[in-house]
Amino acid sequence: MHHNEPLNDRNVSEQSPYFYVDIEAYPTTNWDKFKQVVKRTFNGELFVGLWVVMREMIKFDIHTVQYPKEKLPIGPRYRAVHKLLRLWESGYERCIGCGLCEKICISDCIRMETKIDENSRKEVTEYSINLGRCIFCGYCAEVCPELAIVHGQRYENGSEQRAHFVIKDDMLTPLDWLTSGQQEEFPGFGAITPNESVTKTPLAY
Amino acid sequence: MDMAFIIETIVKIVVILLVFSALAGLGTYFERKVLAFMQRRLGPMHVGPFGLLQVAADGVKLFTKEDIIPQNVVKPIFKIAPVITAATAFMAAAAIPFWPEFSVFGYKVHPIVADVNIGILYVLGVMAIGLYGPLLGGMASANKFSLISAARSAAVFISYEVISGLSLLAPLMMVGSLSLIDINNYQAGGIGNWIVWSQPVAFILFWIAAFAETGRTPFHLIANDHEIIDGFGTEYSGMRWGLFFIGEYANMFFISFVIAIIFLGGFGDGSIAGAFQLLLKVSFFFFFFLWTRAAWPDVRPDQLMWLCWKVLMPLAVVNVVITGLVMMF
Amino acid sequence: MNEITITIDGKEVRTQEGEFILNAARSNGIFVPAICYLTRCSPTLACRICLVEADGKQVYACNAKAKQGMNITTTTPTIETEKRAIMEVYDVNHPLECGVCDQSGECELQNYTLEVGVDKQTYSIADTHKPAQDWGLIHYDPALCIMCERCITVCKDMIGDAALSTVARGGENIEAAFKESMPKDAYAMWNKLNKSLIAPNAGDTLDCTNCGECTAVCPVGALVSSDYQYTSNAWEHQQIPATCAHCSAGCQISYDIKHTDIANSEAKIYRVKNEWNYVSLCGAGRYGYDFENKNVTKDPEAFDAALRAFKNADTIAFTSTITNEEAMILQRLKEKFGYKLINDEARVFKNFLSNYSTITGESLYHGSLKEVHEADFVVSIGTALKTDNPNARFAMNNALSMNKGAGLYFHPINDPVIADMSKNVTQMNHAPLMEEAALYLILDLFGDKSALPATMTDYLATFHSTKTVTVEETVDEKVTETVVKKGLNEETGVEEEVSEQVTKIVKKKVSKEIEVDENALLELLNAPKGFKETLTKYLAKKSTFALMVGPDLYTHPNAANCARLVGLIEKYTAFSVTMIPNLANTLGVALICDLDETAGAFTIGYNTAGNFTLSALGGGDLDMPALNQQEGTLVSIDKRVNPTNAALPYSGYELNDIASALGMSTSLAVDYTSQLPLSAGFKAVEFDTLPNYYTNAGEEVRGYLLESQHCSVSGDESVQPFSQENTLSGEVVYLANPVLQFSPFTAASHQLQEEGGLYGSTTFMSTHGLSEGDRVRVKTTHGERVLPILHDLKIAGDIPYLPTFDSKINSSALFGDYRFVSVSIQKV
Repeated sequence: MHHNEPLNDRNVSEQSPYFYVDIEAYPTTNWDKFKQVVKRTFNGELFVGLWVVMREMIKFDIHTVQYPKEKLPIGPRYRAVHKLLRLWESGYERCIGCGLCEKICISDCIRMETKIDENSRKEVTEYSINLGRCIFCGYCAEVCPELAIVHGQRYENGSEQRAHFVIKDDMLTPLDWLTSGQQEEFPGFGAITPNESVTKTPLAY
Repeated sequence: MDMAFIIETIVKIVVILLVFSALAGLGTYFERKVLAFMQRRLGPMHVGPFGLLQVAADGVKLFTKEDIIPQNVVKPIFKIAPVITAATAFMAAAAIPFWPEFSVFGYKVHPIVADVNIGILYVLGVMAIGLYGPLLGGMASANKFSLISAARSAAVFISYEVISGLSLLAPLMMVGSLSLIDINNYQAGGIGNWIVWSQPVAFILFWIAAFAETGRTPFHLIANDHEIIDGFGTEYSGMRWGLFFIGEYANMFFISFVIAIIFLGGFGDGSIAGAFQLLLKVSFFFFFFLWTRAAWPDVRPDQLMWLCWKVLMPLAVVNVVITGLVMMF
Repeated sequence: MNEITITIDGKEVRTQEGEFILNAARSNGIFVPAICYLTRCSPTLACRICLVEADGKQVYACNAKAKQGMNITTTTPTIETEKRAIMEVYDVNHPLECGVCDQSGECELQNYTLEVGVDKQTYSIADTHKPAQDWGLIHYDPALCIMCERCITVCKDMIGDAALSTVARGGENIEAAFKESMPKDAYAMWNKLNKSLIAPNAGDTLDCTNCGECTAVCPVGALVSSDYQYTSNAWEHQQIPATCAHCSAGCQISYDIKHTDIANSEAKIYRVKNEWNYVSLCGAGRYGYDFENKNVTKDPEAFDAALRAFKNADTIAFTSTITNEEAMILQRLKEKFGYKLINDEARVFKNFLSNYSTITGESLYHGSLKEVHEADFVVSIGTALKTDNPNARFAMNNALSMNKGAGLYFHPINDPVIADMSKNVTQMNHAPLMEEAALYLILDLFGDKSALPATMTDYLATFHSTKTVTVEETVDEKVTETVVKKGLNEETGVEEEVSEQVTKIVKKKVSKEIEVDENALLELLNAPKGFKETLTKYLAKKSTFALMVGPDLYTHPNAANCARLVGLIEKYTAFSVTMIPNLANTLGVALICDLDETAGAFTIGYNTAGNFTLSALGGGDLDMPALNQQEGTLVSIDKRVNPTNAALPYSGYELNDIASALGMSTSLAVDYTSQLPLSAGFKAVEFDTLPNYYTNAGEEVRGYLLESQHCSVSGDESVQPFSQENTLSGEVVYLANPVLQFSPFTAASHQLQEEGGLYGSTTFMSTHGLSEGDRVRVKTTHGERVLPILHDLKIAGDIPYLPTFDSKINSSALFGDYRFVSVSIQKV
């Protein structure tokens, strides 16, 4: 007698690694209950548990990562604290101040200041992300038409205050990093697949 | 009573208090380590080498934390309850022989505070009084979870007192004395003389009852974290909570001694080897408390009661009757 | 106009006969795309995207008029193809800089490109370099321009500056192959677009009154505000619906606010927007928005000092740049504590209104700017129209250009802006104090002589005499000839040679002796020669008459007489009279407050000088909120009670706090909105229920209209004759503001900061041998000032003026009651 699962289609098939567990029906008569007690008492299940944990202790195969001392490698598409990139060829900031990131941000944590500069171009004078509100969804990087704002790999945001900000200077690739080739293209949301048409800056295609 | 006896007793009391308080602390360290290893973790690692000084850090924390007395509690009872738990645990230790007699500079030391002729009765009795700690603490806390815990502790302790008492009756009938030293000496002939061979059912029953009386997994119902927070300890903080903790761990050690002495030959013939064998046996039982915690789930309160009154109590009675019949004929 | 029924996409729609199909559709919620059309202006047919099918024929909805029973379909496969091709053409070479463009998010090119679903480009042409141009307050980027010509249209038909026109674009011609392959209208549109660009008439920069309406109507980012450029994006703004606080037009505006910067979340106004289809703003309204009282905190000591001052004071002097609610508070304070209320400018207006009422029996004048818009004959007397109320000027211009109207402008100072509106407008630059003659002239020319009181007809007859003169008359003669000319084929958009028969009218001059009636009033008012004939021409086919009178009359020494004359005009002519209140809420203050003539010993000044000053301009003894920092209502020239909202935070004390501390328990100033005096025509309506918007049909749903109250009339309609000898001797100076300025509040905003001086025309400067920057001593009987000379290109004649916006000059102290005063001007 099987306990009937209320949900039938669980995507379980012959090939799938998932299978139904054999759930016994609850005993109803006293005799059934007694049989169950006897069966469980002498089945040695308790000792199986004891054996398993003892075995693991003896094997001493410890999985703990001692975090501040040891760090796991993170995925290349990991969405951590944002970066603002520069153009490879000219070193100009990629950000054109279109404000799409500000608009799409679902936690409303991006703010920027723009003005017209001496070359009549739109200049982004300040850019800030309130990491206290940011949920690292990656929409800003996805919507960015210039591949200017991307996610970086810095995920340690511990702060003494809730409203923890990054401003433009924190995020923008310093010029000496750019010249020494330390700026990396972000392979995550919004990135293009590098091929022959992309030599340096992905914008040059 | 001469002065030497009084001084010796006081020294013994102080030593037992210090040693077992420290052991309770170390017990927490071992528990965390053992559980961690069994779960493929590392446990405490950062305070001292291998995290050894974690105990000290916890101690400092417990001693320096604010002692919060919530507004609506029954204050005198709330304050005294943890003391009852710790005190009864240590008082019970008075009749336990921790070690065979030995001589220091010709002075013969009995490592037992009081070798009373009703030793085991005293131990069980005083341990039973320990019930008042969780019961009063839980009832005085003005907290519904603490109250549930108090009710559970009363039910569990009283029920399993019956099991521990009845299961011990059969070995005591064989030994004919309530003194733990007499019980130990009864098995002094070596492994073959251990009561566990003649009274296996009593051994199992007492061992199970020991889990209930110390409130350890799988009978960890009176402070079952996922249901009732920390039970009777919910409203406590700082060292008052620490006293409950020390009481629990001291009880674990003392009940391990009692099992080892009654069923597994204790310190045997009193030789050094026997003495260390006792420590090994005690260590095993203590370790077993931790081992089960890593391996087994908790049972429900109703299952616990069912087990007590419908399974264990009849078995114990049958065991006493059979033992009596065997001794008569 | 008859109401008719037409069918649009199967929906029965009621509209006026002769209404454009586009407007009929819009007012009934049916979407017809249109880029170049502006409501209230003439159709340009530049975009051609409003194509619809009317009774089976393809027409442009913006210039096809609705007829009874017309059946209109807005989409057919042909129209869809045309629209698609038109939008593709607009996208040809349009820079892909939406990311930085100011218009992005509210761009009609973006919207219609998406609406039509342009996903590929079929057309192409070589691009040319078109550098951006800086026109001062306005920035023009020809690369973004789609040549819808809305800027040109609004400037000509609405504003009246006609400062923009098209110039040749240069560059390549469209590939011939496209002519065959493209839909016809799209090709014609492209052909036109490819030939022209927008340019100021004055060459490199704009010669206009800087209203900035061209930037408001621009569908793309080609014309933008230089100050706003690249500072923000349209979608970031919260729009606060408000009423412009600068003049009595009471235009509906929205203050677009956003946080100040990344570190400061406090709101800041970035720009002002308007519903440009239904209301046009002047430059002061558009650029003078940040006049708020900045960095004010609650200063309890100053507040206590204010309370002490109120205990000591017996007079409160104030200006009319306050809300009705504040005026109500002042009136209540007067009732409770007996303060005298001093506001000369509102008092003379109030007196003028009440004298007017003694003739008409109505507490309020009859007209409104809406009626001026709809009129075809507009007269303005006693007001420097373009600076006293720019919207009145727009209304007059709109009436002249859209209704084929004509107009008369009576003012001592010649105004080239008025002259440029239309060739059918005549300026009469009479001497100061001659305003009564102008009113008599209107009565004489337009009055119903049979109904006018006999004393009046007799008096008017004294100005007439008969004279025989020899006149040269021109006679028209028709001559027909054949000419070959090049013409642009409208349908194909190609230039082709056409022979046609042209009938020319050749004028011949004939001399004749005739008897003429001579009107001495015309002479007195310096009417141009031949005015009588001009007027006859003007009055052909005219049916709707509007008269605007202004502050010169209210301050006139014979103001009471002027008011009664205006009343007579209202009663006995076809003119609908509109009075231009002096300041933002002069009408409201005049209706709410009982005003006194003379001040007492201790005066509290609110936004004006006093022994203790409350000031929204900063620098007073106690700070007050400016009109963009408080909510309340303002009464406009249209007699409408308009709500305005606080766009910016204000954390200091306001007038209501003082009133509360003095024992008038009201928690909010707007609680007084429903208590405004019903006897003056206000309604008991809560502030929060007042709407402030326009419907798609252009209906103004804002606040409520004041109800004119009936007054008892004595039946005495006598007026005094005016004295021709009564003139100001020597040179005179006028009290007015330059374009873009109204009050110290406009001058406080960062785009309009300016130092005042003595403003003179080119003529004035050359006759006095002055050049810009010279300093002169201006001396009147009331005092003297040493001021710089400033050149105003937008006036003519030799009367200079002094501004009121610069509180450092305190010009009004140099004047008596009247707006003109005799003056001596010496170079220093």
